Amino acid sequence: MPVRVLENTAPSQVSGANSGRSSGQSCSLLGVGQAFSGTQNVSSVQKDEAWRVNVRIQGCDLEHGYLCGTMEALNVPMADTPVVTFWEGEIVDTKNYTFFTGKWEATPEDDIRHWSKFPSFSPLLVQVEVDGGKSLDLSNYPYIFMRWKEQYFVNVGTDCGLTIAGFYYICFSCSDGSISGFYYDPNSSPYQKLELKSTNDGRSGFSFSSYELQ
Amino acid sequence: MPATGPSYDLILHRLASSDCEIKLKAIRELKNQIIGNRTKKLSYIKLGAVPVLAAVLADADADSASGPSLIVQSAAALGSFACGVDAGVRAVLDAGAFPHLSKLLSASDDKVVDAAARSLRMIYQSKLAPKYDFFKEQDMGFLLSLLKNGNENLTGLGASIIIHSCQTSDEQNVLCCAGALENLISLLDGSLSQRDSSLESIAAILKNNPEVVSKFVDLQNRRALSSIIELTKDRYSRTRLLACLCLIYVQNSSSCYLQDTGTKTKLINILLELLDDSDHVGDNACFAFSTLVAEREDVQKLAFEANAIDKFNNHLQNCALHPKRLEGIFLALAALCSKLECSRSKFLSLQVLNILVDALAYDDANVRTAACICLKSVSRSVKNLSAGYFMNERIIASLVRLLSDLSTSVQVAALGAISNIVINFTPQKSRFMQCGGIKELVQLTKSMDSSLRLNAVWALRNMVFLADKMCKERIFMELTVSSVASLICGNGLHCQFLFFLINWCVPKKVIIVPKKVIIDSGYTADPEPSVQEQALALVRNLVDGCIDCVEYAFAEDGIILDAVGKQLQKSSKIDIGIQKNGDGMVPEPLHE
Repeated sequence: MPVRVLENTAPSQVSGANSGRSSGQSCSLLGVGQAFSGTQNVSSVQKDEAWRVNVRIQGCDLEHGYLCGTMEALNVPMADTPVVTFWEGEIVDTKNYTFFTGKWEATPEDDIRHWSKFPSFSPLLVQVEVDGGKSLDLSNYPYIFMRWKEQYFVNVGTDCGLTIAGFYYICFSCSDGSISGFYYDPNSSPYQKLELKSTNDGRSGFSFSSYELQ
Repeated sequence: MPATGPSYDLILHRLASSDCEIKLKAIRELKNQIIGNRTKKLSYIKLGAVPVLAAVLADADADSASGPSLIVQSAAALGSFACGVDAGVRAVLDAGAFPHLSKLLSASDDKVVDAAARSLRMIYQSKLAPKYDFFKEQDMGFLLSLLKNGNENLTGLGASIIIHSCQTSDEQNVLCCAGALENLISLLDGSLSQRDSSLESIAAILKNNPEVVSKFVDLQNRRALSSIIELTKDRYSRTRLLACLCLIYVQNSSSCYLQDTGTKTKLINILLELLDDSDHVGDNACFAFSTLVAEREDVQKLAFEANAIDKFNNHLQNCALHPKRLEGIFLALAALCSKLECSRSKFLSLQVLNILVDALAYDDANVRTAACICLKSVSRSVKNLSAGYFMNERIIASLVRLLSDLSTSVQVAALGAISNIVINFTPQKSRFMQCGGIKELVQLTKSMDSSLRLNAVWALRNMVFLADKMCKERIFMELTVSSVASLICGNGLHCQFLFFLINWCVPKKVIIVPKKVIIDSGYTADPEPSVQEQALALVRNLVDGCIDCVEYAFAEDGIILDAVGKQLQKSSKIDIGIQKNGDGMVPEPLHE
């Protein structure tokens, strides 16, 4: 959730997200209740700025390629309290969703430009250019690509000075639970980078608490 | 000025007369008085008129001059007592009239047969009527002879028997094998009454029985199915409804029979139109609609596109709705919102929630149950739960009140809604605690009714998910260590057990890597495994968190841990490699 401004800056150079290969295991770290923390870089030509960000996954429906949760931005300059948003995610599983967004003002060119920022995407590029990745089998791929779209502010009004008009291109590493992302909104600074690592959230290790909707 | 008839006493006196003419006149008078008049029926029942009529029926000599008239009139009066009044049915059955009426179906006088058939039909409309035995060859033969008969009253009786007594899949199968469906289909070309009772009987035979549906679809090269599809366009609303019901059972048994999206959309639209029917047809259309869309995401989508939620909402705005209609609408809305987020959003945008919350306090228990089921369905949304839509005092207080409802169905439905609503993703659950919810939930974990126990433990498990220490402590204190331990007993719960161990061991710097879980060949199922599964998940959530939370498992000499271990030993052998973890090592995520 960047500030609500329009800036025309050149795309920043980003480093690779994660280079580690996983053993093929997927989602133990992408489960409900899992927390992540890190930063979102909201730098522009005028200033160098990054917010601390906490994310928690609240819902996961792999069959429908659905994920959701909250994102909390701390030390946001114009906000008195941390700003929490609720987001919903589309998992690029090539069944429910492909690499082409097809909405939110994102063209296939925007998609490929953003996905290409993730080094782990490069082996997929050729096929994605052909069909959006429809014919790819990503079930054992060590990275999970997603789009996260913030839906509403949880604890502040829409007049908080931040915008949730755009969405994030996300790459999740199955091996260590790290997340890289880039915010896309034609009206915001381009390529704002999100970097998160899975956290134990006060625990001494990982655990598996759960709920079940009726 | 209305004409006044003879008094109750006078009529009863005349009924006992030895003069057949006086007796006949009295029966006619009584019959005319009670037709459509529930109060008078109850009064005469109280005064003992029914046994007197039953005696007249039994004693009348069919060969005498007045015999047939006495039989016809007494049978008609008995049928009238049984029509729509359970006390009347009970009185007729208690008076022993049922076997006499059945016997009269074989009489030579058509008027007698007609009267007996009509009367028996009234009795078969009640749940109190004796169950017909389709497995007796002779009885099945008799039933088929009724269906094949040219007499409309007899075919109507045959259909009523099927509607009343066909309940199990075995009964459906035996009727299908005996050829009842073919006979019923031939009645579709008959009178309005024959058509409707035939459709209702076909629906009873098809309901939730894929095997019978498959045979039905193949009947007469699918012509039977086509006839029913055609009847969905009939001018009579009841006929349209019953034809829709048959098609719903066909569609629900396998999606291959009515693949055409147009047919599903037509069914949706017909049922939505039938809502405008103010009588039973409109009420039953709501129930049929919920059967059509329940558990079927594709049909729910079509219904959403047909603005079904708006239409049900429009009907809900009518304050004078009959309880049956209200119940049906809430169940239909519950089915519509069970899978699709867009339906839930629509529901919330229409402000139906206020009407729903009012209905939680409705007099009729079925309405309260349906309102809870609807709330459960709408709250199956992480998006809406996270926004805190349901965590307000009005909803919570109403639901907590229902936990002590006299009806178990209401309690179970309220627990279902609470189970969802307490997952509001905030660590504090103070609003629910302030309403006394924890105490009520804990009380219900000790219920004799297993569905109440299951749902109460389920609600507590969800409530403890990511809860803060204060909330966990409150629940743990209220529940007590021994209760938790006693809820955990059962087999087939290996996964829950392993996750529990992981949550317990990780903070202790111990890694447990399950290598294999071997289920004993002599597996004995626990009578309530679902309760224990939720209890283990509850403990998992309790011990999840900081080191203090882990201490819950060790309270009172670790009897919770002990209970888990003992029960697991009973059901499985587990090979666990335990490895001391060095400081700073991160346990590997486990494969599920």
